[in-house]
Amino acid sequence: MSHYDMIVVGAGPAGLSAAVQAASHGLRVAVFDENARPGGQLFKQIHKFFGSKEHMAKTRGFNIGTALLQEARDTGVTVVLDAVAVGLYPNREVVVRAGGAVRHYKADAVVVAAGASENTVAFEGWTLPGVMGAGAAQTMMNINRVRPGKRVLMLGSGNVGLVVGFQLLQAGCELVAVADAAPRIGGYGVHAAKLARCGVPFYLSHTILRAEGTGRVTGVVISELDAQWRPKSGSEKHFDADTICLAVGLSPMNQLLRMAGCAVRENGDVLCYPFGETSVSGIYAAGDAAGIEEASSAMIGGRLAAIGAAHRLGYLDAQTLAAEQARLEGMLQSLRQGMFAPQNRGKAAQSTDEGCPLSSSLLGQGYLRDDEIANYPGCKQAKGVHPVIECTQNIPCNPCQDVCPKGCIRVGANIVALPVVDKTATCTGCGLCVAACPGQAVFLVDEDAEPGFALVTLPYEFLPIPKAGDKGTALGRGGQPVCPAEVVRCKSASAYDRTSLLTIRVPKEMGMRARFWKGGAA
Amino acid sequence: MSATDWNDRICTLGPFEPAPGDGFIVCRCVEITQGDVRRAVHDGMFTLHEVRRLLRCGMGLCQGQICGRLVRGIVAKELGVSPTALEEVTARAPMRPVEMRVFGSEEAGA
Ligand SMILES: Cc1cc2nc3c(=O)[nH]c(=O)nc-3n(C[C@H](O)[C@H](O)[C@H](O)COP(=O)(O)OP(=O)(O)OC[C@H]3O[C@@H](n4cnc5c(N)ncnc54)[C@H](O)[C@@H]3O)c2cc1C
Ligand code: SF4
Ligand code: SF4
Repeated sequence: MSHYDMIVVGAGPAGLSAAVQAASHGLRVAVFDENARPGGQLFKQIHKFFGSKEHMAKTRGFNIGTALLQEARDTGVTVVLDAVAVGLYPNREVVVRAGGAVRHYKADAVVVAAGASENTVAFEGWTLPGVMGAGAAQTMMNINRVRPGKRVLMLGSGNVGLVVGFQLLQAGCELVAVADAAPRIGGYGVHAAKLARCGVPFYLSHTILRAEGTGRVTGVVISELDAQWRPKSGSEKHFDADTICLAVGLSPMNQLLRMAGCAVRENGDVLCYPFGETSVSGIYAAGDAAGIEEASSAMIGGRLAAIGAAHRLGYLDAQTLAAEQARLEGMLQSLRQGMFAPQNRGKAAQSTDEGCPLSSSLLGQGYLRDDEIANYPGCKQAKGVHPVIECTQNIPCNPCQDVCPKGCIRVGANIVALPVVDKTATCTGCGLCVAACPGQAVFLVDEDAEPGFALVTLPYEFLPIPKAGDKGTALGRGGQPVCPAEVVRCKSASAYDRTSLLTIRVPKEMGMRARFWKGGAA
Repeated sequence: MSATDWNDRICTLGPFEPAPGDGFIVCRCVEITQGDVRRAVHDGMFTLHEVRRLLRCGMGLCQGQICGRLVRGIVAKELGVSPTALEEVTARAPMRPVEMRVFGSEEAGA
């Protein structure tokens, strides 16, 4: 039986982070992952991440993955692929199936970072081909480069549903609707707004009644729910669709931990002590396997487990441990704030920390109404080119502040605060803020560039990239056509990291209403 | 029935009444329907363990990753308890199906 200081199950963000952190303290580490490629969910995530600089915000998920893999190579971590851990025992023995054989390994510390599996719901026709998890659709698009279908209905308006929904649009699918049984959109308003301005309708308090078709999905029927969550008769809506994506939550993959005898909490998650240590000493849980969160916290959780283990095995003194723990837990705390934080889930807040009213239109239809915009500190009118920041919920994020070379945008020390535009600073129109915003919520508006016209610059991540002179239609926040609009320029730069900055010319009074562009007439 | 006494074998839930949705498959690996699970509960299988042993749902290729929550929800609803009140089924090695050919070729480690 071979022996390592630390064995990590799962080479996702949590597992890789644990491995590189432990290796950096001198531990001999092996990581097992069942897939042919490492990275877990990270390589599917083609979008920019939230958070702040220390969390690698505004970096695309797959680029974070590439950096982690390089770190793993540099620190000498052994990554074994196509290797499934099929057993874990309390004496920290790991049984791995790889290449037609099972092997036993032993370690002084074991970190289970096996991620999560997607939840599902049963309805008539849910076993038809064409019904799939949102994560599966994401794998098809972003790893295998296969479009899951042409017309898709998304069930679930949490961040996974919203993010994958937008990626479906980017892949050229039509998103016929986003439905959710809850009465409010569950994910970030900025993610919902990206879909709404492309014309995607939201159906809250709705669920799927049935998938139609024989042999494959050809349609879907949704229905409104009453206060007791029962379908209201007569409220059925039918959509032609060939794909139904389910984004109805994730469940931790903690079977290995339970098999080893780790105690579980009432909600079924494994009980974790500081550093993610479980009730079985020397066995740690990190990332989604410990409790569903997101990739940035998974990476921090992995590093915390690693320092805990490094200290236990005598590779890290108590003083360094305490300092590192404080740093990492501080990073974690800054992510676990705001209206979407675990402790605030289920609370129907009415206003932001600053006292701005939360938009019920944003929570219900996915976009801010034109008359609500002035309520927020990022959306002030000014002379000349200036940023308009339609980021109106307290979420842990601040790259807009970070990138502005002129100090026009202020979030402050508390990263969940709403961005404020400083009217005394002079914006040069460099566009860095537009490209950096992971929520695509920053626009540049110039109402003084040409008499009678306004120039609106918006983040654009679709192909083909429009060219100067292209004629089309400006769409409002809700995706409705508002006026004809011509492309003035479409700028791509390496500093923008693949987000193009599309500038359109619209009648002056549309400067605060036009938020997307579509080629051709309305 | 209450959350505390679902293990009381004297309890009965009354006769099984067919309901809409009974025909939906919930465990795709073993092709067990919602009706199969409901009927098992009415037949006295008040724990997830028993349901799994009787019907083998959750013992197929995915090892309960797809159906686990669905079955839990159905059993809880039938018993009138919260899904979290039901004890988790035991996790056992191998946690993924392993062919006997592979299982039999154990190596001491690389
Ligand atoms: C569709 C979708 C979209 C998401 N979008 C975002 C987002 O935009 N931003 C964000 O921050 N987070 C997002 N998340 C969440 C984020 O992906 C996860 O929180 C994060 O990946 C968790 O990291 P992890 O390392 O715990 O697990 P994972 O990334 O899931 O990695 C776990 C790895 O372990 C492997 N594994 C599991 N069991 C075994 C075993 N027995 N033996 C060997 N290997 C095993 C798995 O195959 C996988 O490679 C999204 C999640 C999903 C599903
Ligand atoms: S365009 Fe440039 S100068 Fe203006 S607010 Fe954005 S980052 Fe700052
Ligand atoms: S506006 Fe700023 S704080 Fe809001 S999502 Fe964009 S980058 Fe983050």
